[in-house]
Amino acid sequence: MRRREFLTTLSTIAIAAPYVSRRVWAQSQGELRVQLYGGDVGKANIEAYAKPFETETGIKVIPITDDISLPQLELMVTQNNVTIDVVAASPATNMVAAQKGYLEKIDYSIYRKEELDAILEFAKQPYGVAGEVYSWVMFYNEEYFPANKPRPTSWAEFWDVKKFPGVRTLETGQYGSEGPWEEALLADGVAADSIYPMDIDRVFASLDKIKPHIRKWWTTGSEVQQMLREKAADIGNCYDGRAALLIDEGAPVEITRNQAKLTCDYWGVVKGSPNAQNAQKFIEFATRAKNQAAFAQRIAYGPPNLNAYKLIPEERGRRLSTHPDNLASGILLNTKWYSEIGSDGLSNAERLRDRWNQWILL
Amino acid sequence: MLQKLGRIPIGLTLPALAILLVVMGIPMVRLFLASINAPAFSLSNYQAFFSQPANVRVLFQTIEVSAVATALCVIIGYPTAYLISAAPKRLQLTLIVLVLIPYLTSFLARTYAWVVILGDHGLINTLLLNGGVISSPLPLIYNRMAVYISMVHIMLPVMILPLVSVMMGIDKSLVAAARSMGARPSAAFWRVFFPLSMPGVRSGSLLVFVICLGFYITPAALGGLRDAMLSTFIASQVQTSFNVARLAASAFILLAVAGVVLSMIGLDLSDTQGRTAQRTQRARQRRLPPFGALRRYFGEGADHYRAKRWMANLYQAGREDPWSILEILYIILVMTYLLLPGVVVIIMSFSAGTYLEMPPSAISLRWYRSFFQDPSWNGAAWTSIQIGAMVTILSTIVGTLAAYGLSRTSSQLRGSLTMVLLAPITFPSIVVAIAAYLGLVNLGLIGTRTGIVLSHSIGAICYVVVIVSATLATFDRRLEQAAKSMRAGPLQTFMRVTLPLIRPGIIGGAVFAFIHSFDEVVISSMVSGFSIRTLPLKMWENMRNEIDPTIAAVASLLMLLPILWLGALYIFWWRSRPQLQSVATV
Repeated sequence: MRRREFLTTLSTIAIAAPYVSRRVWAQSQGELRVQLYGGDVGKANIEAYAKPFETETGIKVIPITDDISLPQLELMVTQNNVTIDVVAASPATNMVAAQKGYLEKIDYSIYRKEELDAILEFAKQPYGVAGEVYSWVMFYNEEYFPANKPRPTSWAEFWDVKKFPGVRTLETGQYGSEGPWEEALLADGVAADSIYPMDIDRVFASLDKIKPHIRKWWTTGSEVQQMLREKAADIGNCYDGRAALLIDEGAPVEITRNQAKLTCDYWGVVKGSPNAQNAQKFIEFATRAKNQAAFAQRIAYGPPNLNAYKLIPEERGRRLSTHPDNLASGILLNTKWYSEIGSDGLSNAERLRDRWNQWILL
Repeated sequence: MLQKLGRIPIGLTLPALAILLVVMGIPMVRLFLASINAPAFSLSNYQAFFSQPANVRVLFQTIEVSAVATALCVIIGYPTAYLISAAPKRLQLTLIVLVLIPYLTSFLARTYAWVVILGDHGLINTLLLNGGVISSPLPLIYNRMAVYISMVHIMLPVMILPLVSVMMGIDKSLVAAARSMGARPSAAFWRVFFPLSMPGVRSGSLLVFVICLGFYITPAALGGLRDAMLSTFIASQVQTSFNVARLAASAFILLAVAGVVLSMIGLDLSDTQGRTAQRTQRARQRRLPPFGALRRYFGEGADHYRAKRWMANLYQAGREDPWSILEILYIILVMTYLLLPGVVVIIMSFSAGTYLEMPPSAISLRWYRSFFQDPSWNGAAWTSIQIGAMVTILSTIVGTLAAYGLSRTSSQLRGSLTMVLLAPITFPSIVVAIAAYLGLVNLGLIGTRTGIVLSHSIGAICYVVVIVSATLATFDRRLEQAAKSMRAGPLQTFMRVTLPLIRPGIIGGAVFAFIHSFDEVVISSMVSGFSIRTLPLKMWENMRNEIDPTIAAVASLLMLLPILWLGALYIFWWRSRPQLQSVATV
């Protein structure tokens, strides 16, 4: 229903111009346009997945390094102008795109059973397979919380500003689909396995308590990274990959993986992709243990295929979000709950977003 | 053809309107219809917007932040522009180029630099701590003040340039005439120069205010907990649900707000000098009758002294005052403010580490190597330069024609047409991007350079129209009549009389048109179809996770370009002194 409404809205917007031929994207069978991100992640994606895939199949991979937003995906599909075959998207984008019908179903029939069984359950969705798993962890400044004094280990202790004073930062909740929601509930004493469905009132009641001690709600990984370097906050949450990088640089930063929140980016095949079959092949290739092990050695993101750990040195493995020990101490972000739509037509993510926007201006 | 169009001034705006219509006009109308749920027609999307108190609150906050930033720009920018316009020609050009430099510093690098300057362990705090002025770091960052500091920094060039181009067109002998008739310097300034410079103030404020309305990344990066803008909300709406009708409703609300506010400060950019002066005069008389009487009373008593001073000042009337110490200090202060972040970026670009640090622990050229050796970097830069050049040519011609046409139409028509032409920079860029995509996809122009050039030009034309209009307002039309009376055709008159006189405005507009294109990221990413890589797209890739220090090297090179150009110009002047006059008018 929602989806049909959407398509009609867009088709009314589009101008019908039959006299102008639509640009047809000439894509040969031997080519695949894949969103691989830029920077270090992009390099790791190219080395671990794109190059070996080209060698094995002879299909040329054209790396797309831009981030892709929901409107771009929507316009491409609704305007019949699909210029990318494989997208890598956050769970929220993947779920919404799937609901709206902009993604092809993942063809799990081409996966080998031993590989498929080793892939984490939440990483296998009808319209997406996880490429990498990352988490939000608690960080603190080692100089501010030295080893010979008590250090915070849980979100309840993070909220305990008397025992652990210090300037705090948490991720912004402005997008709704991610924010300090789970942390707030854990701090309020909710058990890890009963976080979902979230009690939104309780989330904000808990956030009320920590708000006066927050200096900044950060919006991007690069921003919180800079805050850590500049020592603009003593304690907060951030992506594990960012923190790992800082620790490697020698910054006085320590993290705790206890109650870390795990999520992943999903590969997806764009609806109407002229190379859908090759796209499915690429995604299958990228989820094999061997290739994921190669990826995880290049950059500190967790492989969703647990068989990869057989090929990764133990010391390296412990630093990754999906290492069995880290999986046990962490919690999984429930994307499905976020995209559930209530009686008012709003998803839980939208509900959180609207509530946040109101709460933040008070 | 052109001659015929010249006779119907409004016809000169046609090329600009045509581009606007093709690229985003028709989709925009459809977006508007979607926002009112056509064909069922209901205001549910607007009701939904206003039913959320947060939206209303953030709307007022957006207006407040934009208005304060604009006011600060006028307060800082007006004296700066005044001093620049009174400076000797060569110094003048140098100062204008220096003023433009903040605008050339890549957005990402600049924001990063402000954190380095204002942070707890940043330049200012370190300086104050070491000097023993303070004992603990001042909270300079993550608050509203930091937002204003960075917003005003980036918007000052947009304010100063139109002001300078208008002030350079003001006949200084008018001020001298006032002085010679006994007006005190302040009276000569407030009653002669200031009213004549009003078109510049209006154009500058209009551009600054409208652009500020759409800001959100700077407030998000440097602001405190509450510093959200309407565009922040729009961006999060796009990311979580992307409802076209709701998005369009928010966009049209923003446009309406801009329209209302702008009609208050006056949309009539091309208002001629005489009328403005008269109106100010009348307004002053109306507003301050008791003060007027009081002043007359004291004025009569002071006649004797004024006569004395008049005699003393009489012989100075013609000379241009050199800057006083105070004025020199002021210019140095403003220039430091404008240039400091750029200097920080240049220093950081020599970092040897894997990230930007200040001061760098070791010096290296690795990020410059990374730029010159990686074809994805220098190729993107070359693409951006080519696209920027095409945008500049197209929008300067079309925008100048439109401004010329607008200055010769009735003021009511002018107001509404100006608002239409300004829509591309008033709407949040994501909305313009969606409209441009829909407009271009049917022409088969997605993923083509032509498509990108057209989609950039609609915004670039706005800058040209506003800045050229300001110069046209101070332009004495009798000069054209004189040329025509001597049998010059309309085209000849335009080329030989009008064009040379409004050249500062055209050059200013062209510079902003180029930078607008060179800096654009949201529309490009939508229209590029992932097959054309511009420099900003390259800079923004993977922004969610990390900043590639190469952007500091790129930004430094961009700042270097105008400085090199300036150096070349100085050498040229030095070698061909007789041509000085003609070049200096640039």
